[in-house]
Amino acid sequence: MFADELKTLRRLGFRHILLQILNFASVLASGLTIWKGLGLITNSESPIVVVLSGSMEPAFYRGDLLFLTNPANEKYHTGDITVYKVPGADIPIVHRVLETHDGAKIARGRSIVASSNSQDQLLLTKGDNNYIDDIELYQGLEWLQRRHIIGKVRGFLPYVGYVTIAMNDFPQLKYALLGGLGLLALIQRE
Amino acid sequence: MSSRQKKSKHASNGVRPAIDGVDSTPTSSISGLLLAAADSVIDRDSNGVKVNNANVTELKNACDDALKRFLSRPELFNQIYTHTDVRLALGWLSVFVAGATGLYGWKVEFEKSKPVVWAGVILYVVLTTVQTLYAYFIERDTVYVGKRKTFDKRIVTERITIASSTAPPPSLSSSPSPAPPSAIPSPSTTYPPPPTNCPQYTLTISFLRSTSGGKSLLGKGKAKVQAGYNAFFDEKGAMDVQRFERWVGECVGSVMDGKTE
Repeated sequence: MFADELKTLRRLGFRHILLQILNFASVLASGLTIWKGLGLITNSESPIVVVLSGSMEPAFYRGDLLFLTNPANEKYHTGDITVYKVPGADIPIVHRVLETHDGAKIARGRSIVASSNSQDQLLLTKGDNNYIDDIELYQGLEWLQRRHIIGKVRGFLPYVGYVTIAMNDFPQLKYALLGGLGLLALIQRE
Repeated sequence: MSSRQKKSKHASNGVRPAIDGVDSTPTSSISGLLLAAADSVIDRDSNGVKVNNANVTELKNACDDALKRFLSRPELFNQIYTHTDVRLALGWLSVFVAGATGLYGWKVEFEKSKPVVWAGVILYVVLTTVQTLYAYFIERDTVYVGKRKTFDKRIVTERITIASSTAPPPSLSSSPSPAPPSAIPSPSTTYPPPPTNCPQYTLTISFLRSTSGGKSLLGKGKAKVQAGYNAFFDEKGAMDVQRFERWVGECVGSVMDGKTE
């Protein structure tokens, strides 16, 4: 089936093979760099996430794609939808902010005042579709701190996330897609 | 040129052609070598080149590959791989930078990794920009750069640069030179003009002849030739490599002969 292409490859030589592999590798490299760059610009370690559960219905359903940003100097307000990751848990959770409190700070006169630094905020969250708030998910913490927050939801795309869910549930699909892309890049000329 | 009858491969030193005794400067030997190489029956390792002849990009790529293979024959030129090597080096470097940045960002926690990831992303963008600028301004259409050294009282170096592109079908009044062979093989030696509604494979050939390590210039020349793709590909997409090589040989030979000292 690939006899013609193999013959062509052998005829064109070693540098050509390196060039074809480079085509494929640079597609992956540019995708990775765009992802990392996006993470830096949005100040979020994972600026695009997929909703896995139904705890935010009817706002978000399983399979929705969410776009996050995490502005470091802005305070979060009640009603913002945040994605957070509790230390000790693998999976980030997307829920709505129920309460916010400014963290405590020791002022110069040794009195306790509210900190105006947004990184000292404390948050309590709850899923729209849940009956109770998230205290039980916090693994012992009473409040979430800003450093646990991955970002705030700015926009979403429905259904698109099912592709990622399918690839996670069926890893063969991921390898098949990658293999197919690689084959295509190696065989085609630019 | 037309007196050449031999079909055997020439010796690979290209100094004195055994047959053409009229002009013994290195310039005539290169045309002779080119035509001899095109006429020689070399057993090709493949059954022939076959492309989709509705896809102009594939046609151009097939012609470019045939050109590179033809001119890189041992008795003709040695290919200079500078452009390819620059592209490979920059490309693979940017891939490794991106990979290292990704790996670092994966291993180290987000906030701490930020300075290094910034550096990596900016370095990747710089490398990609340099690659693009190089390809656009310096490499442009070049498909082949070759060098040839002959010894004739002194070491003469000939350097040839070939750029190729596809031109739209010409109007009836233009006449490309030299006249390319028609697609229908005809027993007569005259070439009837080709059909004109076909994209044209355009070659820009420039060469430089110098000696004593490039310090004194002996001659240089430049020419632009074109031929319709239908002269080399039949209706099934099979390429007539020998016809193509003969055409290339004629064009390159006439450029190198046309402007001598």
